[in-house]
Amino acid sequence: MEETNNMGSEEVKIQSLLDAFLGSRGPLKSSAAETSFHLDEDSLTAFAEGNLAERESVQVVDHLVQCGFCRHKTVELVRLSMEFEGVDRETNPLAASEPRKISEVLSGLLAKIFGPTSSDQVVFAHEEKKIEEDAATDEKKENDQ
Amino acid sequence: MHPPMVNEEFLSQFRPRIDALFNRCVENAPNYSVTSERFSASLNRSLAKFAAATPQPPTESETNEFLDLLQVDDLFIALACADGNERAWWEFDQQYRGYLERLARHLAKSDVDAQEVVDSVYVELYGTRFVDGERVSKFATYSGRGSLRGWLRTVIWHTLVDLHRASHDEVSLDEMTENVGEGAVHASLAEPIPGGEGELVDQIARSRYRTATFKSLETAFSQLDGHEKLLLLYYHVEQLKLREIARLAESEGSPLRRWFQRKMQSRSENPGSRIHESTVMRWLDKCYSKILQLFRTELSSTHELGEAEIEICLDLVSQDLTDDNIFRHLAV
Repeated sequence: MEETNNMGSEEVKIQSLLDAFLGSRGPLKSSAAETSFHLDEDSLTAFAEGNLAERESVQVVDHLVQCGFCRHKTVELVRLSMEFEGVDRETNPLAASEPRKISEVLSGLLAKIFGPTSSDQVVFAHEEKKIEEDAATDEKKENDQ
Repeated sequence: MHPPMVNEEFLSQFRPRIDALFNRCVENAPNYSVTSERFSASLNRSLAKFAAATPQPPTESETNEFLDLLQVDDLFIALACADGNERAWWEFDQQYRGYLERLARHLAKSDVDAQEVVDSVYVELYGTRFVDGERVSKFATYSGRGSLRGWLRTVIWHTLVDLHRASHDEVSLDEMTENVGEGAVHASLAEPIPGGEGELVDQIARSRYRTATFKSLETAFSQLDGHEKLLLLYYHVEQLKLREIARLAESEGSPLRRWFQRKMQSRSENPGSRIHESTVMRWLDKCYSKILQLFRTELSSTHELGEAEIEICLDLVSQDLTDDNIFRHLAV
């Protein structure tokens, strides 16, 4: 607890009492079970960045008072954001100058998860669609001929 | 499905505004191939959620405020990535991979764990699950409510908690959140040590005051506004430092900042000013004064204690220095 400057002796006493009182409530242990939902990533981020519209904030604040689990997450997010303040705008200096295909970015990762496979066995949805479109175009050309 | 007040008529009022936002995004990123319909559908979903936050329908100015707060350029790249646009993925990889890796290294216990987290997040962002023939990308859950960077921070943190849980089945989620990152919440405090027989009478008297103090504090705390409670919980339970709370209240859209500036007349004259640690201290002082007044009223009206007895209650902490926490046994 940090020192506060302008308090009278009674405020100092109530501060100490409050510290002991709030510390005795065990806020994290039962909170997840006591609340019926947790805040999603969008709401947590919006709160931590001070980006909530006024009419939503009451609901979010009330939830954070009740739910130690979500409150603790906001604390972690604020601390992380402070630690990474300087590097927030840095980009990857080693990145290629030309766009990498998604398949290149992800095929290695998927191989790690699903086991080794040849790159042409990894089929992505957007490529699948393109292949289907190409096949449909070819079929149409053949029919036209 | 939209809540009742979010119908086509409501949404159509904001159509020109949404179109203008879309055009701005296309101008900034012409190669992302996000259609106007796709963009509008995402914003309409967010509007529906926003409208459902309270039973009353949002006013026009509230809705415009909401649209102002959206990070539409970040949303635009997220939508493009969710649709598998190559250019958007390249931009994303350029802008965010290094940041994700640093974050993961900071949070994880080893470089191997950190790489596993980043890999796992990339796979989730791309999406390997299909629903009704459509690939489900994690990007689709981002709605531009905060920055994409902030959202990724949350995703990385969640992923790390999940990976940790997977390898520690016996540990509860609550315990896990306490062990991830730096936020190890204060450990359980020791039970009070019972005094000797000679102190029995004194203990009974003190026990009565302790109970009255505990119950009165409980009542006083429950009568505070949610924003005041949250501030006190951040300070006393989560042990956020004043500068960390100031950071939380830094943005003009911070609920804590808005609420306290409205309540404290002097600050509302300059709502755009920076929040310093001293400002947070003033907010806390205000809370302590309020809770002190409520506490005194409760002790005197409900517990019928006189002024001298109230002083005893206020002095309980200093008299019970042998106990780590004078209320722990009362709170159970």
